[in-house]
Amino acid sequence: MKISYSWLKEFVNLNLSPQELASSLNQIGLMVESITAAGEDTVFEIETYANRPDTLGHLGVAREIATLLDLNLKTRNWPLKELPQTTAEMVDINILDPQLCPRYCGLVVKGVKVGPSPDWLKKRLEAVGLRPINNVVDVSNYVCFSLGQPIHTFDLSKLKGGKIKIRKARKGETIRTLEGETVELDPEMLVIADESTPVAIAGVIGGEESGITESTSDVFIESANFNPVSIRQTAKKLGLSTDASYRFERGADPNAAPAAAVMAASLLCEFGGRVSKGLLDVYPAPRKPRTVTLRLRRVNELLGLEIEPEFVVKILTGLGLKLKEQGPQVWTVEIPSFRVDLEREADLVEEVARFYGYDRIPSAITPVKSFELPADRKRDRVWRLKEVLFHHGFDEVINFSFTDPEKEQLWQTGCQPIRLQNPISAKLSILRTSLLPGLVENAVWNFNREAEGVHIFEVGNIYYWEQEETHRENLNLGILTTGLRSGRTWKETEKQTDFYVLKGAVEDICNYLGYENFSFEPVEHPFFEPGQGLRILVKNEPVGLLGLLNGNLARSYDLERPVYCAEIDLNELLRKQPRTFSFQPVPRFPGTSRDLSFLVEDSLNYQQIQQQLQKLNIPYLENFLIYDRFQGKALPPGKVSFSVRFYFRHSARTLQTEEVDRAMQEIISQLKSTLKIQLR
Amino acid sequence: MSSLLKKIDHYRQLFTEQVSRVKEAREVEELRQAFLGRKKGHLTLLFEEFKTLGPEEKKNVGQMLNELKSDIQNSLAEMEQKLKAPARVKQLEDLTLPGRQLYWGAPHPITLFQREIERIFISMGFSVEEGPEIETDYYNFEALNFPPHHPARDSWDTLYINDTLLLRTHTSPVQIRVMEKKKPPIRIIIPGKVFRRETPDPTHLPMFYQVEGLVVDRGITFAHLKGTLEYFIKALFGEKIKLRFRPSFFPFTEPSAEVDIECIVCGGQDSACRVCGGSGWKEILGAGMVDPQVFKNVNIDPEVYSGWAFGLGIDRTAMFAFQIPEIRHFYENDLRFLRQFNRR
Ligand SMILES: [Zn+2]
Repeated sequence: MKISYSWLKEFVNLNLSPQELASSLNQIGLMVESITAAGEDTVFEIETYANRPDTLGHLGVAREIATLLDLNLKTRNWPLKELPQTTAEMVDINILDPQLCPRYCGLVVKGVKVGPSPDWLKKRLEAVGLRPINNVVDVSNYVCFSLGQPIHTFDLSKLKGGKIKIRKARKGETIRTLEGETVELDPEMLVIADESTPVAIAGVIGGEESGITESTSDVFIESANFNPVSIRQTAKKLGLSTDASYRFERGADPNAAPAAAVMAASLLCEFGGRVSKGLLDVYPAPRKPRTVTLRLRRVNELLGLEIEPEFVVKILTGLGLKLKEQGPQVWTVEIPSFRVDLEREADLVEEVARFYGYDRIPSAITPVKSFELPADRKRDRVWRLKEVLFHHGFDEVINFSFTDPEKEQLWQTGCQPIRLQNPISAKLSILRTSLLPGLVENAVWNFNREAEGVHIFEVGNIYYWEQEETHRENLNLGILTTGLRSGRTWKETEKQTDFYVLKGAVEDICNYLGYENFSFEPVEHPFFEPGQGLRILVKNEPVGLLGLLNGNLARSYDLERPVYCAEIDLNELLRKQPRTFSFQPVPRFPGTSRDLSFLVEDSLNYQQIQQQLQKLNIPYLENFLIYDRFQGKALPPGKVSFSVRFYFRHSARTLQTEEVDRAMQEIISQLKSTLKIQLR
Repeated sequence: MSSLLKKIDHYRQLFTEQVSRVKEAREVEELRQAFLGRKKGHLTLLFEEFKTLGPEEKKNVGQMLNELKSDIQNSLAEMEQKLKAPARVKQLEDLTLPGRQLYWGAPHPITLFQREIERIFISMGFSVEEGPEIETDYYNFEALNFPPHHPARDSWDTLYINDTLLLRTHTSPVQIRVMEKKKPPIRIIIPGKVFRRETPDPTHLPMFYQVEGLVVDRGITFAHLKGTLEYFIKALFGEKIKLRFRPSFFPFTEPSAEVDIECIVCGGQDSACRVCGGSGWKEILGAGMVDPQVFKNVNIDPEVYSGWAFGLGIDRTAMFAFQIPEIRHFYENDLRFLRQFNRR
């Protein structure tokens, strides 16, 4: 909202510099966003709030400043040159829906010479960014920006039958607005109609037909009050926001309506107008003023202050509130109708604080009366997991939660996506059902910008309909690795990433989070090339997938290099109880190891062999490590060679060679029967 | 007798001479054999001869002989130690070549900044809470005292899923969720993603991060709000940063405040400053005393309890702190941007 310094001075005598005025406005929360010199005038762009329609006119801002500086508001007189006829003889006002139009005031001004406004008026409007049109329209804007009360002017001769009906629109009715657009009205919209047709959309915009033109001579002034919600809904439906609707939807002051009508009429007298006798004021159910109880004790309790009662009385009275002492330092406060925001004691506490000055309120430490342990360790574990990934050289990314349905569809995530009702664009119209599409886009972005390798992860929600009407958001982890793992150095050649880089990171996450009971099983999934995907199981329950990205998917993003990616359901993973840490005694006696190389059928994979090895029941066998896998021409066809190192230890003494020999014999004999091994 | 003394003298000289020529451990052993050998060692023989002396002579010669023996033993031991020094290792050719460096992944700057904020509040006894990103109109607006169809909602332009579900426009609904299930005292912060129906531009995006704080207890005042936020901002931006509180409006706090900090980019010296527009101040967070209606909505008696709350945009604050000109950098995920943050 633009405020002109000269215009403010119509309401209060001020002799502050513009800078001083700005800092005063800031102190009371009318934040000055810019100060612009405009000839002799200075214009302040101030931030106004949705609950303070009273500051949408110069009077309201003047009242605030006058209260802060302890000045009086000027009273202004609006003399009228009256006609002998009464208003009621000329027009008939009929409110058909008093819920939507609580008050309607009207005056007729006859014989107005429509033409350009005088300079003083033009300057006022131009200062606040309005374009002068003609003296009648300019007067209504001047009144609106003075008092914050929108008024509308009609060409009286265009109001058929001199009738003013405030009613809901009828189905099929249309109106051509002052902006020259024909809009269709719906029966929820309030209109101003004459005998037969709508002449204005109430509180939003006037009709072209009944508007003021060069040939207008008799003007009907409307100064009314409309229901804020109704005005807002109408304006939203029509996609129209006008100075009038902006004020009415925030709640205009019903008691400003008569004064605004008189002010406008008085100004029109300057242009040859003569005003109908007696304001026509239709106000079927006058609103009673609100009262609020204010306790000084409460002011001090909420602010952490010791404030003088005299200060409270002075400030609130200055703002137009009426205080009546109810008891010691307790007041019954009558709220003026222009302050729609003041409803509770806390609202009055804010008024006191604003004028006392937030900067003068002392600072204190918020006392702690109890300590609490965090409810769960989930956040700690998520951070731990990120640390594992940082250590493995993965960078963290964050992608938008919305995505392009066309792209997402290619992934066949198997989740029913959640669609937005009012997306920013078609490409951001659904919520993601997987983190991987975003990671792949990040890879493409970076390959297009000189990256030779991309190793990234994201922790974030995916979203989907679990069933009809039941939405779900789930915390996932996505990991992607593609391209060069490390560049060439004087010591080493460059290294490509591979599947085992990804798998190692996944395994380490499980290890370092204490989920040691994990395994993998082959899976066919649309994300991956056939036969190139694994499912991750923790405690035998699936928690995620990893594999080589499906080539067709990769090509749809113009990715030529192999891409390895994983997606893990963190809700599922972190729900599991990790192994509780317990200290293991440090061995006191030396251990010993033996290597064994053997051939097995090449249909057996590492994990199957490992599982058999884990089942071995051999005394003193501490651990084993599969350290080689070999397949090739040197071996009989259909065979694969594995080498395993077995570690043995006795906790209370040094093992003897013969004991280890016997153990190895036992291992060989067990593996011969379970894995059909052939020694090499 | 004098002959024995002479011999002692002779062998001392001989030993000194020979030991000075020793270069390998093998030679030490040879010397030991030559002088101390069980059967033919020079000293062994001298001790044999010594036995033939009379008691008077023994006194004098004995001491000399023992001294020589211990000197030889010490000298040999010392020599042995010296020659045991490690075998010579291969020399490095160019120590100025770079070492083998490890690449550590970079945390996203939002994560980094969020953790920094969490750390400060955790040190003040706050705990961290989270809540859903898909919310209902009730938690996102109504319970926070936004009347239906009120223009106050315009500043929280919303992405809707259907008539009741929406993407939360702020982290404040978590305040309601926490207060519904927990009795005061409450002392929490709530970080998380929020969504607005904003067309992307250099300072606006449809998704960003916020952190919310809430304290509820008996006797909580606006002064507590000020003291805590002042400490927080100083912990984040340094002891010297200037800040100001000014009145504002939020439906869920009363009184409401906004906090500005001085522009660290221009210090108020540049009237065309891209960051503060020349005002010298940068708006950083919104705050206030919890509105009594909000307390009523969660069955907390506003006559008994009071509280303060604040909300801050993590992205905007990180932009300001790191002087990042455009918010979209955070979500483009360009590695040349992201990787700068593993140096922090
Ligand atoms: Zn600046």
